[in-house]
Amino acid sequence: MNIGKAKLQRNLFIAAFIIPTFLFFCVFTIYPLIQALYNSFFDWSGMSQHKDYVGLQNFKDIFDDPIMLTAIGNDYFLVIGKIIGIMAIATFFAVALTRLRLKGTAFFRSIFFIPNVLSAVVVGILWNFIYNPQIGFLNGFLSLFTSSKVEINWLGFESHTIWMLLPPAVWAGIGFYMILLIAAITSIPASLYEAADIEGAGQWHQFRHITLPLIWEQMKISVINIMMTTLNGSFVIVTIMTAGGPDNSTQVMGSYLYQQAFKQAHFGYGAAIGTVILITSLITTLLLQWLLRKEQVEVS
Amino acid sequence: MTFTVKKTAATAMAVAMSLAVLAGCGSNNNNGNTASSASPEPTASAPADNSAANAAGNTGGDAPATTGLKGTFEIQYFVGGYGDKWWKQVIADFQKANPDLKIVEDAGPQINTQNKPKWIAGTPPDFVYIDGPELNDRQLAEDGQLEDLTDWIKDAKNVDGVKILDLLAQQPPSYDGKTYNIPLVLNSWGVFYNKALFEKNSWTEPTDWDSFIATSEKIKAAGTTPFIHTGKYPYYINGAILYPAIVSANNDDYKLLQDMGDSKVEAFKSPAVLEALNKIVELRDKGFIDKTSISINHTDSQMLFLQNKDAFIPNGLWLPNEMSKDVPADFKFGFIPSVTQKAGGKVVANTSTSTVAISKNGKNKEAAKAFLQFIFSQSQASKFAELSGAPSNIKGDISASNAPDFVKQAAAYLTSDNTVVVPTVTFNADVDKAMQDATDALTIGKIDPQGWVDRVVKVVEKVKK
Repeated sequence: MNIGKAKLQRNLFIAAFIIPTFLFFCVFTIYPLIQALYNSFFDWSGMSQHKDYVGLQNFKDIFDDPIMLTAIGNDYFLVIGKIIGIMAIATFFAVALTRLRLKGTAFFRSIFFIPNVLSAVVVGILWNFIYNPQIGFLNGFLSLFTSSKVEINWLGFESHTIWMLLPPAVWAGIGFYMILLIAAITSIPASLYEAADIEGAGQWHQFRHITLPLIWEQMKISVINIMMTTLNGSFVIVTIMTAGGPDNSTQVMGSYLYQQAFKQAHFGYGAAIGTVILITSLITTLLLQWLLRKEQVEVS
Repeated sequence: MTFTVKKTAATAMAVAMSLAVLAGCGSNNNNGNTASSASPEPTASAPADNSAANAAGNTGGDAPATTGLKGTFEIQYFVGGYGDKWWKQVIADFQKANPDLKIVEDAGPQINTQNKPKWIAGTPPDFVYIDGPELNDRQLAEDGQLEDLTDWIKDAKNVDGVKILDLLAQQPPSYDGKTYNIPLVLNSWGVFYNKALFEKNSWTEPTDWDSFIATSEKIKAAGTTPFIHTGKYPYYINGAILYPAIVSANNDDYKLLQDMGDSKVEAFKSPAVLEALNKIVELRDKGFIDKTSISINHTDSQMLFLQNKDAFIPNGLWLPNEMSKDVPADFKFGFIPSVTQKAGGKVVANTSTSTVAISKNGKNKEAAKAFLQFIFSQSQASKFAELSGAPSNIKGDISASNAPDFVKQAAAYLTSDNTVVVPTVTFNADVDKAMQDATDALTIGKIDPQGWVDRVVKVVEKVKK
């Protein structure tokens, strides 16, 4: 009797935590997801009371849409660029701030984390000023070394302007992953490094054979997280910095979704693009999981 | 036992709290972001309440019933470059005339997005001012959201008993031969320059294409870049250069532009379009266009213009108001609606309007019609010019009013016989975007005029399907 009651109490206690969370999850994640999937089968302006069912037409249109192909290409360019850039720099900083016994590590840790505190909008505007051809920092800096004033229009190249969006995106992402990796590195027992020291292993060998295998899980999570946030979140930086231009050359799926759904009154098409983002994210996650698979190393 | 009670209570509280939060989220949707008095939901106003207004409103009769209205009346207005001073004032006046009417204001810079759920759910505000992002009159009409005013407006009279159509400087646009919305603001695209700078350097103010090019050459030789625009929002250069150029090239007949607005494929293939595009190519090839243009937004381009780094800027009459805080003391705005006409040809003023409309699913159409009759009066016209810094669409002499000088100057242009006033053309959103992208590509030499036409025609054909 008592056991049954205790079990009930326990279940109620658990439910008290799970049910509200689950309800929130359903209302704010599951419902919009299903709604978006549903809308992607309709021709709908986003303002009308009527929706016309068009089946898979929106998805067929996506494959015929050259801008959509540019957008997917740009998205994956940013994914690869950000993964390489952020992981390389974040790992370097994390190792430098933990293993190299520098002075003022706390200070540098805070400095490197600052871009993460800024909203993506602020980052975009800030870098717009850096790139500004007339009053920008970059041209001003370069002009110090040249006889005539440098007037490069950093965000106005005929093509490949997407390259210019990589530095701000990487810069804004480093801090968070650096902290994540610092946490992972500090949890590695010092005895391992001591032993390595005694054996005569240098910093590089310690990094390669102790640090890297033991923080691999965190690196894997970081890579997948960078990929997902890029596919879902490049919208902000693109919209702020280039609005997808010049001539749609920096469009990403997110910004093109916004353009179609809210500016050109193709809400159904926008929802279909959203579905494509979801599917590509899922596929890429699985692919990365597979690529980064490695036997788990645990510190016993 | 007490333990159980505590736990159960905790469970209940957790659930109740989450529900309360959810409920909060739901109801938030319905609040406009203004300090509107109470529940913005239109209460079902009994039609009987408005029977008096009904009769007058429907016939547009001799004595418009703009007083004694009852029920709830909901107005949606976007607050942008023209501000909300005039709206506050006219709504207060209307309230005074109708003390029993409960007026709800849905207003603010984000109101178009905020009110979207109401439109979709079929409970829109009664009256809407169509301006700002995510609200397009052509789209609203196509979506069946606007009341068909074709018959009503024919002989609707304003509060003073004057026929509204007779008062309008620009007639209402028609979509599929029907009237849904009435232009409230009358603005114009055009080219700005700094008169003070021109005087100082003794550059001639342009009057046509030849003088524009000649002056630009002098400006360039003097080390200033002649022309800047915003490549991020290429509708500025389209509105102020390309479209007037098309009208000029088409012997001042703006029918072609209207056909483009109706997405007629043949219109885009007209030689006038190519001739106009070649004017932009001329600017590009002579190196007159500031290379910065392609990547900057309108504010940045306007700042560079105000700093005299660039001599000409295609823009709209709202520019001086928009930048008022940054205008140097010695800066004197010069304005010409178009520079693309041949020597001795007529100036082409491509107008830009913002319209008002009544929603089809509104609950209080009588009040909405009465409000429309109320705002389209001569007294409101000069108040509008004063309070919003833009010419209103109501004919009338505003030279005696307190409106800013450039507004009066523009009003003079718009009423001159030597000006072709082009009624605002609202393009299909896809076609509009295609033209903007193509113009950007043209200014940086990515495509040629024929490429522009091919690209846009492709989109037009798709839209027509």
